[in-house]
This record gives sequence, C-alpha cells and structure tokens, in this order.
Amino acid sequence: MTDIRLMEKKDINDVMDELLRLKRLNSEFDFALKVSSGNETEIANKLNKMIDNREDHIILVAEENKKIVGILISDVIFRIYYDPKYEVRIREFYVMPEYRGKDIGKALMEKLGEIARKKDMKMITAEFPSLNLIAINFYKNMGFKELIKIYSKIE
Amino acid sequence: MIMKDSERTEYFNEKAIEISKKYKGKIRTLPEVPIHGLDDFSMLYTPGIAAVSKKIHADKDLVFELTGKWNSVAILTDGTRVLGIGNVGPEAAIPVMEGKALLFNYLGGVNAIPIPLNVKNNDEFITAAKAISPFFGGYNLEDIESPRCFFLLEKLQKSMDIPVWHDDQLGTASITLAGIINSLRLVNKKKEDVKIVFNGAGAANIAAIYLFEAAGFNKKNMIAIDSKGIIEPERPDIDALMLNNPWKYKIALDTNEERIKGDIGNAFKGADIIISASKSEPGTIKKEWVRSMNNDSIVFALANPLPEIWPDDAKESGAKIVATGRSDFPNQINNSMVFPGVFRGVLDARSKGVNFDIMVAASYGIADYVKDRSYDHIVPSMSDFDLFPEVASIVARKTVESNLARKIDTKAGFYRTATEIISSNRNVYNKLFDK
Repeated sequence: MTDIRLMEKKDINDVMDELLRLKRLNSEFDFALKVSSGNETEIANKLNKMIDNREDHIILVAEENKKIVGILISDVIFRIYYDPKYEVRIREFYVMPEYRGKDIGKALMEKLGEIARKKDMKMITAEFPSLNLIAINFYKNMGFKELIKIYSKIE
Repeated sequence: MIMKDSERTEYFNEKAIEISKKYKGKIRTLPEVPIHGLDDFSMLYTPGIAAVSKKIHADKDLVFELTGKWNSVAILTDGTRVLGIGNVGPEAAIPVMEGKALLFNYLGGVNAIPIPLNVKNNDEFITAAKAISPFFGGYNLEDIESPRCFFLLEKLQKSMDIPVWHDDQLGTASITLAGIINSLRLVNKKKEDVKIVFNGAGAANIAAIYLFEAAGFNKKNMIAIDSKGIIEPERPDIDALMLNNPWKYKIALDTNEERIKGDIGNAFKGADIIISASKSEPGTIKKEWVRSMNNDSIVFALANPLPEIWPDDAKESGAKIVATGRSDFPNQINNSMVFPGVFRGVLDARSKGVNFDIMVAASYGIADYVKDRSYDHIVPSMSDFDLFPEVASIVARKTVESNLARKIDTKAGFYRTATEIISSNRNVYNKLFDK
C-alpha cells in the first residue's frame, strides 16, 4: 500500500538520494544539465528550509513499507500579471524504477491537486528537460499542455 | 600438426588474406534453371517473362511461388560491431558477411546475400531495410552494435511480413538454451527452480534472458551482471538505461528478486547455472566463484577465443558440466547449429515472422537431437548434418501452429522438403568442385 504524504525532516536523506537520481537522469538529456558533485550539505539545508516554509512549497513523498519510493517537489508562485493568481510549479518529480507503472506518479499528482484546491490554487505547471519524452507523455496524459519554453546558451 | 593458439590464429589470418586475394570474394550468382543457349532467354526473360510479372501483379503472394524470394535472405549490417574488432564500417564488414552467406548456403541451402548498409542512424537503417524487402523471404541482421541491434530487431520484426533474425542475439541464445535444457536433464534439476547468473549483458545474454523466460525459466531467479557489476533496480545508472537501453532496463526491474548487489562474487553464491558472455580472458570468472555455486553446477563460459575460465579450472572448482564457444573442448556452443535450420524452416513455411515460441521449439529440437547425452555431450556438433532438416521441420511446423505460415505441411513433409533442398544444394557443391 502506498501512502502519499507531506515530506518531513526525517525523509531528507531519502529524498536527497532520489533528487540526485533525478538529476543524473536529467543529465542524460543535455550537457547543460551535468550534475556537479559534493552538494549534499547544501541540498539538505535547502530541503530543510523548504519543509519549514509550507506557504511557498508543497513537497510530497510516496511511501511504501517505510521506504520513500517517489517524490514531488513544487513551488507556489504568485502570478502578479495573470489570472489565476496562484500557480503550483512542479520542479522535481521522481519515482524509483521498480515502482513505476503502478500509478504512484498519478497518486502524487492527485494529492498535489487536492492540496492546491484546498488552498484555492487552480493552476499546476511542471518543468522538465525538453527532450524527456517520458515526462512529456506523462503530463499530456494528465491533461497538461505546453506553455513556456526555456532556451539556453553556455558561453 | 600441433600449434599454439597464437600460431594457429596467425596461420588462419594469413590463409584468409591469401584466399581473399586469390578469389576476390566468396560467393557468386548461379542459375537455378537449366540454360542451353540464348533462345532460352525468351522464356527466362523477355518476351515471355512479362506473363509472370502480370500474374504476380494480380496476386502479390505469388512472388513466393514464381520467383526466388522464398529462398533468399538478406544479411543486413551497418558494420558497427564486426566480430570482436568493433565498428569498422560496412565495407570492412563485407568479408564477414560473405562468409556468413556461404555458411547459410552450405549448411541450410539458403541463398543469402550480403547487404552492408551505409547508414548514419536507426531511422536510415529501418528505411533502407524496408525498401529492399521485395526480393527477400527473410532478413538476418549481423554484427550490429548493442543496444541499436535490439531496437532494429524489434522495429523490423513488428513492421515486416517476413522473418527477421539477429544471429548474435537469437542464434546464440537458442543454442545456449538447448545446451541448458540437456544439462538440466543430466543433473536432474527443474527449469522453474534453477538460479541462473548471466555474466555479461550484451546482445547474446540479453536475448538469452528473454528467451529463457519464454521457455519457462523464472526471471526472478536470474541475476544479470554487466561491466558495472550486478544489475539491480536501485543501481544509480538504471534511469539512464531506461532511456538508452530499455531492454536491459526491463531486465533490471524484473530479475534479481533477492536484490543481491555489490561484489560480482555475491551473485554466484548458490547459483545453479552461470552463462557468461563477457571478457575473453581466463580468470574473468574466478575459481572461488564457481566453488560457491550450488551442487552439480553448470558453467557456460562462452567468450571467444579465450573462455572466461578454462574448463579444467571450472571442473576442478566443482562444475559438473562446462561448455565454451570453442571446438577444441567438449560442448561447443555455436550459433551455426541454429540459424541454418531455423531459416530453412521459416523459408519452407514462407513464414511471416519468427518469435520466441518458435525459438524455444527449435532449442528443444536441438536438445532432443542429442540421443547419447553425457556431461561432455550436451549439444550436437557441426558435422551432424541431419540436425538442420530436423530443426527446420520443427520450426516450420511451429510456424504453422503460430499462424505465421503461408505454406502448410506436416512435420514429415517439411522434413522431406528441407532434406531435399539441403542435399540437392550439396550436390551443386560436389559438381562445382568435382568431388
């Protein structure tokens, strides 16, 4: 049975491990996403702060048999120019390989939607590497469409 | 003449160059029909032949009955992984493809034609392969790098209405399965129970894992090892595999239920079977690893030219049955025992495809063929010529049962057809070379 809940401080190490897996996966898509090493302390600090700041971040974990098998990290963004006024932006989204294909990603998304609705935030967005076809298909199946593109250039 | 390995290699190398210089290629076109003079061409060519074209135009399937399509196989390569020498390109692959074509013909009576392709990527390969299909009754992919070979095989098998085979994957996997079937009969173990370690995760072993699964072996009891170590779903590079090698990724998720990780030696503990297609260097499999295996262990050390462990060392460490890729030790695991019979079979049935069920049947056919089984005799040898019609008839029959055949016959009928084709083809050789 998978339990979807808000991230707590005891989860930091597991979440960081999965974050780094996600980043290594991203590095497959583009050289600009090459993962730098030795950032564990900073990542842990950042996660710590994000957990404390529940107004600006919604962080979910999927837990199965006391093991973190999936994570979803999102930011709450105030849209000064647009309606609707609030947007929940998914920044990081990862499910451990052997737990894929079991609708854990979908369950994480549903939980995020539920929390957002309660806060009256109607808009959810997600960012991921342009070449990640698996992510593209996932979000399309969930009813998302492309909104903004990010171009990069490294001198 | 007794020669050391290095001397023998040197000798074969020199001879190969000498023969290639002298004959400038190994195959040529010969007529199937008798020709006595130019007049015959009024029927073999224009004007008469237009009538045959019209018939095929009206019913495309007649191409199998009225032309050489039924017995023609294209040997397709991009030259990206030629033998052990690597990515040498399509031109340098030609000598190998010519040799393979000759083997197809000599053993299976198949007209095989080398088609090296100058292509830059997967899509170009697929486009080229599809475009040349009209004349061919089957495709054999050869010497293509991994994981590209998995993609091409899967894509072509799905989109073509003729059998597509990749010998480095399927041929090797089938003969390996045949050897394991007989080994298990000898040591009285059940396929459902045995723990198998696949050392090396290249084309042959990845195909073998899927084939063994299709044959009823339990994937959860299998452990695969690649150059980075034991494969398990939490290994940090598994996500990259999802993108770059989904075939290996699936294996990572489905095998190794015990979640054994770390040192390679851990995988061997209590294993019944080790199938190694890894580094060609004795000592790659350590004696203590074999010693840690279950009773009556089975060791297939298939790297060429040097096995991963010498058979004597493996036996000394407790292995009951040992097989290698070499002809100078007992139990040579050689894909040349598979593809001539398989192709004879699918071609004789005018098959629309080939699949794992057909391969499993072929493997059992090869295993059953060995009547006087012993620890040192688990597979047939290259000189067992009647193996090929036997495998052909089993394959053809299975093709019929799988609703892939365009031509229906009994096993005995297919056996007769295959025997006739192979022996009349052999007669051509005798006439050509005045035997």
